[in-house]
Amino acid sequence: MTAPQPSFKARTDAALADRTLKLAIDRTTDTAERKRAGAVAAFPQFEAARARGRAIKDHVIANLDHYLEQFERNATASGAKVHWASDDAEARAIVTHICLDANAKLVTRAKSMLGEEIGLPHALADAGIERVETDLAEHIIQLACERPSHIVWPAMHRTREQVAELFKVGHHPPPAADDPATMVQSARRELRVKFMSADIGISGANFLVANTGATCTVTNEGNAELTTTPPRIHIVTAGIEKLVPSTAHAFALLRLLVRSATGGELTQYTTFHCGPRRDGDADGPHEMHIVLVDNGRTRMLADEFRDMLRCIRCGACMNHCVVYRQIGGHAYGGFYPGPMGSVLTPVLDGLAASRDLPHACTMNGRRAEVCPVEIPLPTLLRAWRRRGWRSGLENGLPRVAVGLWAQLARRPALYRLGSRIGVRALRLFGKGGWISSVPLAGGWTRHRDLPRPPGRTFMDQYRAKQGRKRGRP
Amino acid sequence: MTARNRILTAVRRGLGGTRRPPAAIAAQAAMLLDDPEFIRPALVATTLPEAFELKAAVLGTTVERVASMDQMSGSVRRYLAAHALPPSLALQQSRDLTGLDWSGIETHASIAPDEVAALGIAVRGIAESGSLVIRSGADKPILLSFLPLHHIVVLRADTLVAHLDDYAAIMQGEAQPRNAILITGPSGTTDIEGSYVRGAHGPGFLHVVMVGS
Ligand code: SF4
Repeated sequence: MTAPQPSFKARTDAALADRTLKLAIDRTTDTAERKRAGAVAAFPQFEAARARGRAIKDHVIANLDHYLEQFERNATASGAKVHWASDDAEARAIVTHICLDANAKLVTRAKSMLGEEIGLPHALADAGIERVETDLAEHIIQLACERPSHIVWPAMHRTREQVAELFKVGHHPPPAADDPATMVQSARRELRVKFMSADIGISGANFLVANTGATCTVTNEGNAELTTTPPRIHIVTAGIEKLVPSTAHAFALLRLLVRSATGGELTQYTTFHCGPRRDGDADGPHEMHIVLVDNGRTRMLADEFRDMLRCIRCGACMNHCVVYRQIGGHAYGGFYPGPMGSVLTPVLDGLAASRDLPHACTMNGRRAEVCPVEIPLPTLLRAWRRRGWRSGLENGLPRVAVGLWAQLARRPALYRLGSRIGVRALRLFGKGGWISSVPLAGGWTRHRDLPRPPGRTFMDQYRAKQGRKRGRP
Repeated sequence: MTARNRILTAVRRGLGGTRRPPAAIAAQAAMLLDDPEFIRPALVATTLPEAFELKAAVLGTTVERVASMDQMSGSVRRYLAAHALPPSLALQQSRDLTGLDWSGIETHASIAPDEVAALGIAVRGIAESGSLVIRSGADKPILLSFLPLHHIVVLRADTLVAHLDDYAAIMQGEAQPRNAILITGPSGTTDIEGSYVRGAHGPGFLHVVMVGS
């Protein structure tokens, strides 16, 4: 279906050589990182809220069958039609059929990563249906014929100058100037016509509320409501892990999601859709369809990747990942980039096709720290590495290095000695807290700075502390 | 086997063990919302209107307070004049609004794709986040809040609740509308290099007239 991709290494090398890309990524991630830190500092309850958010997601997953059935009951009672799809192909078929049955010519879409995951854009094109992406970033990448490079800012890899070039060709008339404000106005004009003449609007869902049957979507632009109100039919596609027991639970998670994603407190629009237009309503579609998609999620639930089902797609782990910030989202090759993508892509595409991803991480634990639902990303990445190693997919240096590590780890005394030497040796190459080159690992550190370890290992420091406690030096 | 059964069977197999009774699940779900003050931000002011106003201002919503509904149309007139807008308004067809004196302003029920200004009523306000709640309904077109460049909203101070969870508790007992929306500020985007631009697709200006105290 898709052309063979260049290898991960080739993609990474290309990304690292592209300085414009680095510039574009930095412009957005720097702001995102700063704003998230501010939002968390202004919310002293963040840690408690995070523990609770995690518990809510764990509770839902532990009772997922119950909540799926409850949601289906209530959504059906509201007049929506609920569909189930085991995989991406089934999901595509369901959506395409609804569109073709309705004789739809024009479909507007509000950004949804699940839509990308199930390959909806291609499926609609293959069915001869015009698809218009309405989220500004999705509009940009539709004009560029690209895929999203970030789950919150899909066009993060594009500089303002590049967007100006795209709009000059894609907008009629082209924008009068290339500052962001003028370009946003131009997109507003361009897309307004499409909103009002679409036959079907397709959106995703951040949450599925079990006890009301409503779907909840958050946006800043207002494109979701403009996508879902004027057309005759509204279709929602959502992963089965999106359930929450009630609206109040959704709010508890929203407080975490928005702060972690954009550093705001709530997005400008938090919208709950519940069924089609009621009798007498002034506007709204006459049909609502909800497609519940599995696509690997029940597999994750059954194994060590269950924790990953907590993910609320905030994107914080990529904004804070040194590797992501060097190579951008496209180099990862999957629909989901960054650390969370490196865990999810092997589930979706198979480990053989994505075995390099779990290595594309410095494992410094920073992404686990920022994750608002406490997903142990380094542990899950290590689990993939282990599987790859066991099935003989690893080769070359990583395998040798991991083999060495495993040997050492099995002999605690030797491991401690080894890491002590390693730590001291690493410090020799470090400048001001970051290591910019390590012999034999030039390919790694040429574009990546490793955090410089403290002069003593954790075990050394721990023992010294214990010693001090007992009154010894 | 249908996809529905395949998925539910796979979920149950993945979870293993015996499934818990719905009452036990509900009790645990309720427990997860215990002690709400530990997991939500405190209000930024002691009164609800003040807290709402402070929060709303963060994202650029403007607020004017008037004592009663009679003074509302005057406030709207001032807003239109201050922004040099034509004296024309798409008006939500609620009797609370259509019954007011709109002399000098042309009002209409229709909402054009390039509508300049519209006036509607919020069902509720939320002080924690400075959010307005609007809902679809017979006299409540959703597009009234999204097509215009200037969205003016009447908020009765006595409909304010403190926290998001308070709103959730109230709406739980009510019939669900097709669409319920929390509006927290004018439409905005950071999609071009993270720089913040207002009026992406929805209104670029959000003005609240808070009635009563
Ligand atoms: S893994 Fe955590 S930090 Fe990353 S997107 Fe998911 S919820 Fe956010």
